[in-house]
Amino acid sequence: MSSRSEPFWLLLPGLLVLILAFFWPVGELLVTSFFTAPQAGAPPAGTRASAGLANYAKFFADSYYLGVAERTFRLSAITTFFTFLLGFPLAYIMARAGPRLRFWLIVLTVVPLMTSVVVRTFGWLVILGRGGLLSKVLEWTGLSASPIGLMHTETGIVVAMVQVLLPFMALTIMGVIAGIDPKVEEAARTMGAGFFGVMRTVIVPLSLPGIVAGSLLTFALSISSFITPTLVGGVRLPMMAGGIFSHITGSLDWNFAAAMSMLLLLATLAVIVPYAMLLKRRGA
Amino acid sequence: MVGGIPLVARFGGALLLVLVLVFMLVPLAVVVGSSVSASEFLVFPPRGVSLRWYEAVLSSDKYLSAGWTSIQLALVVTVASLAVGTPAAIALYRFRFPGSEALGSLFLSPLVLPTLIFGIGMLMLFSRYGSGPSFFALVLGHLVITLPYVVRTVGAVLHGADRHAEEAARTMGANLWQRYWFVVLPQCREGMAAGAFFAFNISFDDAVVALFLRAPGIDTLPLRIYSELEFSPDPSIAAASTVMIFITVAMIFVIERILGVRRLAGSGR
Repeated sequence: MSSRSEPFWLLLPGLLVLILAFFWPVGELLVTSFFTAPQAGAPPAGTRASAGLANYAKFFADSYYLGVAERTFRLSAITTFFTFLLGFPLAYIMARAGPRLRFWLIVLTVVPLMTSVVVRTFGWLVILGRGGLLSKVLEWTGLSASPIGLMHTETGIVVAMVQVLLPFMALTIMGVIAGIDPKVEEAARTMGAGFFGVMRTVIVPLSLPGIVAGSLLTFALSISSFITPTLVGGVRLPMMAGGIFSHITGSLDWNFAAAMSMLLLLATLAVIVPYAMLLKRRGA
Repeated sequence: MVGGIPLVARFGGALLLVLVLVFMLVPLAVVVGSSVSASEFLVFPPRGVSLRWYEAVLSSDKYLSAGWTSIQLALVVTVASLAVGTPAAIALYRFRFPGSEALGSLFLSPLVLPTLIFGIGMLMLFSRYGSGPSFFALVLGHLVITLPYVVRTVGAVLHGADRHAEEAARTMGANLWQRYWFVVLPQCREGMAAGAFFAFNISFDDAVVALFLRAPGIDTLPLRIYSELEFSPDPSIAAASTVMIFITVAMIFVIERILGVRRLAGSGR
């Protein structure tokens, strides 16, 4: 085997896997989204009756689906905002802490990140439910007179999603802040800037690529998240992913589910492509 | 003179840090806490302390078989992902050829596709051309979502490794297999360890792809927990979830020993 053909043979298994089990299923989804079935039914039986944009037209003509899309984008934007608000200070402290503290902070950030989303959401169900931990704490501190529950509320969805996505934001921003020379901060301070002045005029502007990248990543993961919104929000507050799922398992209209998937994919790509370009420019 | 960080910022920062950490860890703490409850219902703080729910999980066939399926699945996926991803990383990071950069992006592309959409695509593919969901479909699905992590972690260590060692082995007369077995693969070892960690962890934790690709009668541990949550949660779910948390924590400490914590945080994205 000559060394010219070596990379080809090394890449071959991976390329086969990607083509057969990644690009083909995505292509299958794209094609399916342009067909309508005579009546809804699970493939392969009669799902490709007539071609056209009917599924997409149905989505944009129905205020219910537009409402689902609106909820998805609105809650994702709110989630991203709060994730940034909590993630930025955490990232700054992680980047500037001594080695021991930093070690523990990173471990404490990575442990929830690596724990199954199902398990983390389960924790939130126990906390947010009526008479749950949150309700007890609020009653005990006198902030609320009667038991409250945030299950099946948009607030509950946001609270749980912020916790699930916080590590992505914090670790992304930390990477950028760790690359800012502490001497720049010292210089600004020597010149008379206060701590918050340095934050506003040095750290935030210099870490802007990290802030934007972290926010794009969080938003992209948020609009497509399924487990957390479904379990916390329930069937009455569906987001895009939950809506797609109910068409797969419930109404069995796979063609329409495929069209919704394609719209969600399009939205994700619109956010994630700038994110990837931002990372590439940083040489990460 | 450079002024230090003012007291108010230090104090405020410390307070904020504690609050954020509590917020991040409280769902896990609640799960662990309610798993040792003696009561019939899910409550936190737990009423009484008992290990009865662990006993319930360990003597329940549905949890044990789901756990066993999850472990088998994650092991098969890890081995497959290393076997396919390591050679790809070697090709992408050791050789310069036309299109190598584009191929590099191609291998990372599964990262940008939401797993839900990928799962549905696989379901449609296997329903149309195959015999529907199966353990094999599930392995293939997890292989695709874990592959980018292996390619990236192995690629990262190869990037920093000595290129000339391989060249030296070649000039000293090493044949193809000796070159890979004694020089290139040992250089990949750290990256493969990190890749294995991610592959196992992602496969073991996934509930989304598995939701679409599991065959009837096949249950993974996260799916078992998910479906219990939709019906009537009792503390046995908390016990099963706690087992999952401890497996994750143990794996993080093992991989941290091998890699160091900075690398772990850097490749977590």
